[in-house]
Amino acid sequence: MADVRSHFLICTGGGCIASGALDVSNAMREELKARELAGEVDVVETGCLGPCVQGPVALVYPDGVFYQNIKVDDVPEIVEEHLLKGRIVERLVSHAPGTERTQAEMEDIPFFNRQVKIVLRNSGIIDPLNIDEYIARDGYQALAKVLTSMTPEQVVEEVLASGLRGRGGAGFPTGMKWKFAQAQDNDVKYILCNADEGDPGAFMDRSVLEGDPHSLIEGMVIGAFAIGAHQGYVYVRAEYPLAVERLEHALGQAREYGLLGQDIMGSGFDFDLEIRMGSGAFVCGEETALMTSIEGHRGEPRPRPPFPAVSGLWGKPSVLNNVETFANIAPIILKGSAWYASTGTESSKGTKVFALGGNVQHTGLVEVPIGMQLGELIYEVGGGIPNGKAYKAAQLGGPSGGCIPKEHLNVPVDYATLQELGAIMGSGGVIVMDEDTCMVDIARFFLEFTQEESCGKCPPCRVGTKRMLEIVERICNGEGEEGDIERLIALGETISQTALCGLGQTAANPVLSTIRHFRHEYEAHIKDHYCEAGVCSTMFKARCSNACPASVNIPGFVSLVGEQRYDEALKLHRERNPLASICARVCFHPCESKCMRASLDGALAIRQVKRFMVEQEKEPQLPEILHDAENAARKVAVVGSGPAGLSAAYFLCRLGYRPVVFEAEPKAGGMLVQAIPAYRLPRVELEREVKMIEDMGTTIEYGKALGKDFTLQSLKDEGYEAVFVAVGAPQGMGIGVPGEDGPGVYDGLSFLREYNVSGKGEVGKNVAVIGGGNAAIDAARTALRLGAESVKILYRRTRAQMPAWGEEIDAADLEGIEIMTLVAPEEILRDASGKVTGVRCKEMALGDYDRSGRRKPVAGHNPDFVVEADTVIAAIGQKLDAPAVLDGTPVELNRWGYLGADPDTGQTSVDWVFTGGDAATGPASVVEAIGAGEKAAAAMDEFLTGANHAFWRRDVEPPTYFDPDADPELVDRHAVEELAVGARVTNFDEVELSWAAEVAIAEAKRCLRCDYGKYCVTKES
Amino acid sequence: MPTLTIDGITVEVPAGTTVLQAAKQAGVKIPTLCYLEDVQSIGACRVCLVEVEGARTLVASCSQPATDGMVVKTNTGKVRDGRQMVVELLLSEHDGDCQVCGRSADCELRTLANDLGIGDLRYEGEKTFRMIDDSTPALIRDTGKCVACRRCVTVCNEVQEVGGLFAQGRGFATLIGPAFAQNLSDVVCVQCGQCAAVCPVGAITERNQIEDVWDALDDPTKTVVVQTAPAIRAALGECFDYAPGTLVTGKMTAALRRMGFDAVFDTNFTADLTIMEEGTELLVRLKKALVDGEQVALPQFSSCSPGWINYMEHFNPDMLGNLSTCKSPQQMFGALAKTYYAEKIGVKPEDMVVVSVMPCTAKKYEAARPEMTASGVRDVDIVLTTRELGAMIKQAGIDFRSLPDEKMDAPLGISTGAADIFAVTGGVMEAALRTAWEIVTETPFPFPNLHVAPIQGLEGVKVASVKVEGAKGDWAFLEGAELKVAVAHGLGNAQKVIDMVKNGEAEFHFIEVMTCPGGCIGGGGQPRFTTNEVRMKRLNAIYAEDEHRELRKSHENPFVCKLYEEYLGAPCGEISHHLLHTHYFEHDRV
Repeated sequence: MADVRSHFLICTGGGCIASGALDVSNAMREELKARELAGEVDVVETGCLGPCVQGPVALVYPDGVFYQNIKVDDVPEIVEEHLLKGRIVERLVSHAPGTERTQAEMEDIPFFNRQVKIVLRNSGIIDPLNIDEYIARDGYQALAKVLTSMTPEQVVEEVLASGLRGRGGAGFPTGMKWKFAQAQDNDVKYILCNADEGDPGAFMDRSVLEGDPHSLIEGMVIGAFAIGAHQGYVYVRAEYPLAVERLEHALGQAREYGLLGQDIMGSGFDFDLEIRMGSGAFVCGEETALMTSIEGHRGEPRPRPPFPAVSGLWGKPSVLNNVETFANIAPIILKGSAWYASTGTESSKGTKVFALGGNVQHTGLVEVPIGMQLGELIYEVGGGIPNGKAYKAAQLGGPSGGCIPKEHLNVPVDYATLQELGAIMGSGGVIVMDEDTCMVDIARFFLEFTQEESCGKCPPCRVGTKRMLEIVERICNGEGEEGDIERLIALGETISQTALCGLGQTAANPVLSTIRHFRHEYEAHIKDHYCEAGVCSTMFKARCSNACPASVNIPGFVSLVGEQRYDEALKLHRERNPLASICARVCFHPCESKCMRASLDGALAIRQVKRFMVEQEKEPQLPEILHDAENAARKVAVVGSGPAGLSAAYFLCRLGYRPVVFEAEPKAGGMLVQAIPAYRLPRVELEREVKMIEDMGTTIEYGKALGKDFTLQSLKDEGYEAVFVAVGAPQGMGIGVPGEDGPGVYDGLSFLREYNVSGKGEVGKNVAVIGGGNAAIDAARTALRLGAESVKILYRRTRAQMPAWGEEIDAADLEGIEIMTLVAPEEILRDASGKVTGVRCKEMALGDYDRSGRRKPVAGHNPDFVVEADTVIAAIGQKLDAPAVLDGTPVELNRWGYLGADPDTGQTSVDWVFTGGDAATGPASVVEAIGAGEKAAAAMDEFLTGANHAFWRRDVEPPTYFDPDADPELVDRHAVEELAVGARVTNFDEVELSWAAEVAIAEAKRCLRCDYGKYCVTKES
Repeated sequence: MPTLTIDGITVEVPAGTTVLQAAKQAGVKIPTLCYLEDVQSIGACRVCLVEVEGARTLVASCSQPATDGMVVKTNTGKVRDGRQMVVELLLSEHDGDCQVCGRSADCELRTLANDLGIGDLRYEGEKTFRMIDDSTPALIRDTGKCVACRRCVTVCNEVQEVGGLFAQGRGFATLIGPAFAQNLSDVVCVQCGQCAAVCPVGAITERNQIEDVWDALDDPTKTVVVQTAPAIRAALGECFDYAPGTLVTGKMTAALRRMGFDAVFDTNFTADLTIMEEGTELLVRLKKALVDGEQVALPQFSSCSPGWINYMEHFNPDMLGNLSTCKSPQQMFGALAKTYYAEKIGVKPEDMVVVSVMPCTAKKYEAARPEMTASGVRDVDIVLTTRELGAMIKQAGIDFRSLPDEKMDAPLGISTGAADIFAVTGGVMEAALRTAWEIVTETPFPFPNLHVAPIQGLEGVKVASVKVEGAKGDWAFLEGAELKVAVAHGLGNAQKVIDMVKNGEAEFHFIEVMTCPGGCIGGGGQPRFTTNEVRMKRLNAIYAEDEHRELRKSHENPFVCKLYEEYLGAPCGEISHHLLHTHYFEHDRV
């Protein structure tokens, strides 16, 4: 190697080449030449470095600086700044997630510094076309050791002792395989390498072939020596032209150096290696099929026994390992089995290369010690889930593998554990899926793959997987039937037991594993024709509406707003959700997170369009009502005037009933009025919509508390035929630390209720709010408005894990509220007089992943500290005192202690009692409560009349103009306008402002109209 | 010798025995589908699944070697569930119009479903892609019925070595058929019908011509005569639940008469005639070679088997000259019926319909060859397989088992034992030797019971050599000569002999080839199911038929002699040449 001062190592793996690495490399050479630096800086085209999504990537040595996303235009700057002036080009280096902090050096980057590279030891570091570079990094030393100082038996023993297991999928101990073949008495034996790598998304083997082909060759020669083979084949898929080219090149060099062919290294050992190209049949990854294919036949598996170690290729003893397995051999021999076995777990030694793909920040190739926690692999190495979405599952092991849900992020990734969870290590494909992934659809995808790749020889695989696929497709199309899940399980389990080869035996895994971990999704598809993730598009018209618990026709009202037809828009909204104005202010808009426009230039601001729409309402108009004398005469009751109760009353009125609503408090609205502060929801807006419902025929009786002033039985005795219990979850929960009882400590709900209902409220100067949900933020912002000088929020997890909505947290932040995270209260401190003086807190750290998929806060190591406070508000949760409410009526409770109900109808175990909202689900959102009220109203009517009259569920397509052929213009989402901070923190004026008409209309017109011209199968239709 | 237990029964079996075979030995019946004894045990269909203690999954007993100490269970819930599901899945892809399927009576899938107690079909869905290939005169393929068991593929590739059928495509779209989903007529298919013989369902069958026969019989203007091949009488009984190897010559004759044929004749007659012609042809070739020093093609190959002829035309066109120019007995019969016999009874050839009953599907092709019109019209009009005849007898409402034994009509129904053995491998050769010996030496054929033991039986390639002693007259040149003969059955074996000849490994004068394993008794048109055991039974029946005859040599057939006197003149003479001999064509080898 020439004496140069710097090396510019540019990755020329397949991924980086695809993103332009060769152009960058050429540009770099040109630039260096132009600046007469060619002698000082060497450009080396290496194999894969791993972070493929960041490509093209390059490493600059000796500094170890890692550049990513390099464009040809960046080259002069890198030369000028870095190579000449020694200054790092900051814009091209990695940043710590969520921060502006740069991490320029490879060892600072979590993606790299948690990896342990044995297989990929040279990849990205050496020039794969230069055997000398391989030799310079101890290449072929292991072979020399074997040929000069070891017997074949010793080699096998060493591999056996290392604990290396086959990296192709099944994880059979490599040494054992070699031992069997070694024991065969036969002059002709073969050693074979499986480089077929058919798993979708897997490219571990390709990277070794492209980046370090000699590591494979050396491993194979050693293996050949161990078992007594003199001929070997590398079976590589024809779709890997670059890998084939580099391997060919390496084979030529190895022959030239006497490392292949006759009398290798003068030892008398002969061995040669040939490449056989496969034509891309997945089944040819199965060892007997692979051998059949090398023999020149259609690649189909044959029954085992005989096992290949006895009778393999052309009936001769054969050993087949995959590329990664062979790449481990030389280091094991050179450094010893004990060294190798020191990495990994008890039963799974060494490292594993994974191809991270799907919804993960750093898609690419990583090599980590076996046994690394799945969570660490995905979040630390992989950088977590992009776009703020939640992790849903990771598919491990390719189409033969299974999904691991968030409950198991804690598990070590090793052979045994994965198998227990219904997944497999496989060849190392890890496909990460976020909340927008439908698990039924994923099962369909993998099954479709295996079905198409089945060789067709045995009926379980050929026909069985087809039948499974048909069932899964049916479910995805909204045509699932009762019993389909059981059919899938029965088919899947029997196929696993009866199929001829590994492909068939594992083909059902994706279905079985998704049923195991996500059965509720299958059930929702079948029973409710509902795809939670918004993927199975035959079941909904638009993803936004699908995500709306109240099923509002969102594209409909948005497009009407776009045409300035505000009355029609509002009417359409109130077809499914009466509380338009309320939702325009407080809805957490699950619709927006599913908006297709997000993938273009930002999700549509649906709530803000709604806000503008409701501002246009002049006179409240009543919706379509079915007048029915019989219904009007029937007595139906609604208990609680929160969003669920109001919604139920509204829809009951639309069916001609004249419901009576019983409300414990003197004001209607439930949590809307008691908990949500007026700066978010002006009371006049609430009153306007309550009045609308009253005008439709609802009577509200105030000051009537269930279980106190009346009981369910008393209602029945008074002639009420059906009752909707929507009493919410109105009790705040204590924190359970010493000092909690006494003045100065409130539960969040009581604190908010006090001010909101009575208009009075007092706080001290220093307020500490404990909790991370919306109630905590509401309490904190209310405290600020009530005159607190300092408000702190103490939360035991991280900010990213706070259950409160992001925009609320940001607003609190903006208003000067200090958010202290990873802090847990240990004690409320009081002075001698009992006055609160502060909160003794423990610093927390993140521990293992819990069942919610979040890292559990655990006690940190630092001593406790005190947060000074004279007022403590604990907003950590709410509950319902169900027995008190029921007062003996035998309504069964669910496992969380809330009222048990059929989620489709709200009907409880007592047939005339219905429930919904927080009383049934525990604290949830306003719009979920509204949806529950609608369902209950329809169900109560059906209960009373024997028929479903929910006419509003019909499919209404407002006649608005839309040109489906027009390309959407890029327009950023319009920002929300707010009162200035100074103008809002001292009062309860509404913070959010409405848009001007032109802004609202422009925003409405951003809608892509995913619903346009769509037919769908919904349960309701 | 491994010892294992199967369902609690301990059995000791020879090394290399499969679990399926061991179970048979233990008296345990395991259902099978793709399995073909001695031919295919690839574990594809998964019907023969059993539970083996310690195995991760169920295993296919047909391919699982029996090992010492193995514990096998063939009747557990898991096994029953597995087998049931497998068969249910096959039923779900299969175009199961059983009521009208030609295979309903002997469909193995139907039997399996019944035996496994499959009640309702739990799995429904897309059916196998349906394509009807009726491109050949002999065979009809219905891919919709195929259950991809691979039996036909193995027989076509490994037994016949023709390579006309393959698995192609993947997944549910896997299709068994000629490469690139072509038709059989576009590929090297020799139409032997061995695929149809092993097909467990109705996916490959002979082209059904029953209606054509009924139409002819119903037509008062037609004289309809029938010939039955030598192999029919030893197999037709199986259509009526007789054990394999039961001879039903007399009942078959009676049935044909009751069906309304105007004359019931025997292909055996022209088998005897074939010996006269083909034997003479061989002697002439030998004379030309040995005496006249002429270049003649030797060895001479027999030419009775039309699948074999097709095979030669496709695969060994350079050796077409070695094939005897004699037509097959079927075609000799057709030519004579419509000339000699038609003249005799005063019927115009166009008013005569010649129906053949053959154990063979390739005969349908042969009869349709354009050159087979020596009488001026098509010589053989309709060819039925044994199976079709069985079906017709049933259609006619004839109670076969209670029929009397009747004799065939003269003159074309009279034959010798030499003609009978045309049905079995080695038979044509033996018949030829019986006659040739006596013509050359004018002394009785010296072999015990007239059988040439080395060329009998089911060995794939058999060879013999006969030393000529006492050659007389024109044939004196043969004195002391070693006549070397070879016999092959199954086209894979035939190719082996051809390769031996081409490579100079062996020298033969006369080689008999029958397309189907066992010869015509194992033909593609015979009642199913033909195993080696069945072949042996039919073969023994044929030899019994021969041995019970008074006349056992073709040249002793009085009506054959009369035919030469009255009509043909001498063997291989002018008229013979016109009526009884043919020529061959090279085919593309697609």
